[in-house]
Amino acid sequence: MLINILLLILSIGIYAKFGISNLIYILFSTITTYIAAMVIERKKINKGNALYNVNNVNEGNKNNETIEVEAKNNQNKKHRKWILILTIAINACILIAIKILIFGQAKYNLLSTTNIIAPLGISYYTLQVISYIVDVYKGKIEAEKNFFKYLLYVMYFPYLFIGPITRYEDMKKELFKKKSIKLENIYNGAIRILWGLTKKFVIAGRVGILINTIATDTSNYKGSYALLAMLLYSVQLYADFSGGIDIVIGGSKMLGINLKENFDSPYLSQSIKEFWRRWHIALSSWLKDYIYIPLGGNRCSKIRNKINVIITFVISGFWHGINYLLWGLMHGLLVVYGKILKTKWKPLNILITFLLVSVLWSFFIWPDTITSLQMIQSIFTNFNYVEMFTNFQNLGLNLENIIVLITSVLALIIFDIKKDKIINKIKNYKLEGKIAVIGTLALIVLVFGIYGIGFNVSEFIYSKF
Amino acid sequence: MKYIKPIVVIIIFILIFIFLNKLLSPKYMTDLVEGNMTYEYYKEDKKHEVIFIGDCEVYANFSPMVLYEEEGITSYVRGNSQQLIWQSYYILKETLKYETPKVVVFNVNSMRYSEPVSEAYNRLAIDKMKWSKEKIGIIKASMTEEEDFLSYVIPLLRYHSRFDKLTSEDFEYLFKTKNSMYNGFLINKNVKPVESLPTKRRLSTYQFKGNCYEYLDKITALCRENNIKLVLIKAPSVYPYWYDEYEKQIQEYAANNNLDYYNFKEKVEEIGIDYSTDTYDGGLHLNLNGATKLSKYFSKILKEKYELIDYRNDERISNIYEEKLKQYIEEIN
Repeated sequence: MLINILLLILSIGIYAKFGISNLIYILFSTITTYIAAMVIERKKINKGNALYNVNNVNEGNKNNETIEVEAKNNQNKKHRKWILILTIAINACILIAIKILIFGQAKYNLLSTTNIIAPLGISYYTLQVISYIVDVYKGKIEAEKNFFKYLLYVMYFPYLFIGPITRYEDMKKELFKKKSIKLENIYNGAIRILWGLTKKFVIAGRVGILINTIATDTSNYKGSYALLAMLLYSVQLYADFSGGIDIVIGGSKMLGINLKENFDSPYLSQSIKEFWRRWHIALSSWLKDYIYIPLGGNRCSKIRNKINVIITFVISGFWHGINYLLWGLMHGLLVVYGKILKTKWKPLNILITFLLVSVLWSFFIWPDTITSLQMIQSIFTNFNYVEMFTNFQNLGLNLENIIVLITSVLALIIFDIKKDKIINKIKNYKLEGKIAVIGTLALIVLVFGIYGIGFNVSEFIYSKF
Repeated sequence: MKYIKPIVVIIIFILIFIFLNKLLSPKYMTDLVEGNMTYEYYKEDKKHEVIFIGDCEVYANFSPMVLYEEEGITSYVRGNSQQLIWQSYYILKETLKYETPKVVVFNVNSMRYSEPVSEAYNRLAIDKMKWSKEKIGIIKASMTEEEDFLSYVIPLLRYHSRFDKLTSEDFEYLFKTKNSMYNGFLINKNVKPVESLPTKRRLSTYQFKGNCYEYLDKITALCRENNIKLVLIKAPSVYPYWYDEYEKQIQEYAANNNLDYYNFKEKVEEIGIDYSTDTYDGGLHLNLNGATKLSKYFSKILKEKYELIDYRNDERISNIYEEKLKQYIEEIN
């Protein structure tokens, strides 16, 4: 209880620190969905009466009162539906409007006098509140009566910047269970946080230097450089995003709160379809449950199913921003028609999937769709790999740093391949072994991390979505 | 017994952490020796009658060895590259914990700067300062927006990226240091005559800022409380950065506070400074020749006006200074 009060105060404080307007937005979403869920729940209580009266009807006792209740229930059903639609629409519209305004400002200099900044975590908490209201409507969960409990679910600060997107059903069990501080959780949480920091600062930070050099000078760096940037961005985004999630999961673990995994070695996927089961799992599963299935999922014709998949991915692209619509569409098409690329050789499938994912990340590297397409095109028209290899050391990293980068990426690959084995081994370590792991990771981050003056350590790539 | 192994592991990691902090911190032994200026003072025999505080215009222009040789004055230059006025205050405050000089000479050039200027200069002045209330104060007063206090406590946070720049110096001077200065004076024998000067910039205001006066008041009060004579100086420089409006404000301040003020810019001919031979950077600072001339000139003033003792007659002190002087003469010739 005390931990939760502290967590709530801390969360509100952090939101407020980033600007009071953040608080207004998130409180609006929280209050509207809280009230809507309560109303939906109350209207649902009459459903019980309806059942009772329906039974009476069946028994042939249909009277005026029953007809009235029936009519009332039909009306309630309609009301519930409208409340749901209205609540979703209001919250989704805010998110959509912000995405459009941000795009408009960047592309057409709209509202040039005002700097439009998305409220902190809006992409994440909007999906959370929508999932909550839908789940209450469907009767999957009961509406939370305690406003502050619901507020903590929405505002829980560890997932403030980059998610993961959680469901109330899961978080209720974790947040409001009886928690006690256990040493075991502290060690394991600390290891997870430090592993995340290693990925973020040692790998993503270093790769970021190379990508910045290449991406900011499209006239000189194209062809093989563009491909290099795409491959490196795959590494950077994964290390940065999954590193951030490791920090969130590790921090929560220390508090005794278990969050679901958001990544499952995604670059070992053998198809784009599999990739989306292993990458940003929380978003994929949200899109599946709240977009794909309501659209009809796979319980429809094959063509309709394919359209449903593509629509879902386009929405996923939109969630990232208007610039990413094409990216979403391409992923949708690759999920639907990806089978034709599959071979019998597993490593080749992994390689093809990695290359496809990397090339499509180009929409995230360059500031607009046209430049991204030009960069993809340049791979085929102006490859010039000899120059890229000879010039590699002038891209911002010296030999020592390149060695650190290669070593740490290899460590990440080995970890992803042998993840379960390594985690189990560390879990079984005695106290001194765990302290040694913590100490080693801490020293690696401290010495080889890219941080300090000129680097914003709290900035994660996925926090901008 | 259960916790012995974990404790041993923790101790090993703490030792590695301390070692890495030392290894990766710059040593300032052969390159950027200015970073060692603050530290060299701690190794000194602390009995100085004159303490200089200020920026490069003191450590490049005043040689305590010449002051001793000429008039038997014991002195130390507690200067730093671009030492800002709040840094001068904290450096003086720290100095007074070790000794109480008769005279403190403060170069007023830093009155021009009212805000922290550069992280690099802060590091040169503060990194090697011993931990004390004064160090905490100097850090807080000096930090630029991009800096954080913690990186002064844990140097590894600032210097971790030096892992690829380590040289033999970092290992050789891991646990020892060598002196690069003579009582805080940095010898520079190079000659670069004045050829062209930067144009005089017009400023929006020539008024010294309130916080600069605040620290000047603090320095004045500190000296008064400790019965120290505070002497304000402006070192010579041909660069057009010291405006008449500045001069007037300092003269007024000195008069109002009953302080002596010497502007050596106006005494260049009397001192005998020749900017074709006496500067190492085209007129901004003096070289060894120029510093020797200025120090000789100032030693007379100090001796006559402030009743300083001639320590050439003190056996213990003269032994220390004669030894240093021998090395100094060897180095300058």
